[in-house]
Amino acid sequence: MGRLRILIVDDEEDLAFTMAERLILRGFRCEAMTNGIDALKALSEEHFDVLVLDVKMPGIDGLQMMTEIRQTHPDLPVILITGHGSAADAERGMRAGAFDYIMKPIDIERVIQMIHASTGAKKDEKP
Amino acid sequence: MNEAHPRRGQRRLAFFGRIGADISHEMRNVLSVIGEYAGLLDDLLVLAETGRPLDHARLKTLTKNLAAQVKKGTETTERFNRFSHTAEEQTASFDLIAVVEDVAALVQRHVRLEGHRLEVELPNREIRVTNNAFDLQYAVFAAVGILLKCLEKDEPVAVKVDAEGSTAALSISGRAAAGDEPGGRTSRLVAVMNELGGTVNTSWNDGTLSLVLAVPTD
Repeated sequence: MGRLRILIVDDEEDLAFTMAERLILRGFRCEAMTNGIDALKALSEEHFDVLVLDVKMPGIDGLQMMTEIRQTHPDLPVILITGHGSAADAERGMRAGAFDYIMKPIDIERVIQMIHASTGAKKDEKP
Repeated sequence: MNEAHPRRGQRRLAFFGRIGADISHEMRNVLSVIGEYAGLLDDLLVLAETGRPLDHARLKTLTKNLAAQVKKGTETTERFNRFSHTAEEQTASFDLIAVVEDVAALVQRHVRLEGHRLEVELPNREIRVTNNAFDLQYAVFAAVGILLKCLEKDEPVAVKVDAEGSTAALSISGRAAAGDEPGGRTSRLVAVMNELGGTVNTSWNDGTLSLVLAVPTD
């Protein structure tokens, strides 16, 4: 398996780009975007192995994106990020087909575990 | 028309809860960003131990960004603290400009999640008002909410304050879809403004819908 390509979508720009930088330092190929429209366009034009997606965003939110992605990319693993105290939204996302979800503040090692689990890659293999 | 007492209590509690929930989300985001910056600093230091050169310019940017997030979080908690204290007093003398500035910042996230943005234009002077600051903030929040339901896609919400004679006017306006008028949605706002000794004036001019909240000044 080549290096995994990850797309991070979060309207909190600092969070999205810093997460991307940390994943790149760990050997992943990573893109960060701050809105659902740009992300859907990128998904239609390029290949990504995993999508890391914020649930609450302006415009198209994470759950609306999930609905679209399940039509166009049924096999793309989606890991949801939620800032909510309650996991209700993330659980709705899980029912819509997300692989897993993580609460903010982010534990980057947990995200990496989820990426590996969602793609079937082993942790000791190269990303 | 005034609001019935139990309904008033319920409405005030719901407003406080809504702002509190938004602020907790905002603070969680700030803490998450701080966490990621701290994590990235740690990653770079660990890599430096393995021989990768430290990029000092990058480190400076990261510490500057960290400080900016701390400032953002501090300002947010200060605004929420001031907002919370306004719920304690029925009537107080306050600077209308400062109160509108606070409530505009507190509803910013709500507006952003609806796909719009707030454009706040406030005069550089005090406008003293003796009134119920908490209910006045609710009125601004309610007016913004009514406008959001009528706005055209991506259009901003403009918030302006002015005073003339013994009246201050808070204007909340934006470009709305033709025929999409607030209608009956303003009844609760009208009741609250009546209790504040003020008025609500809804107008439609060349595609711009405006709700003007007028209150007496000191």
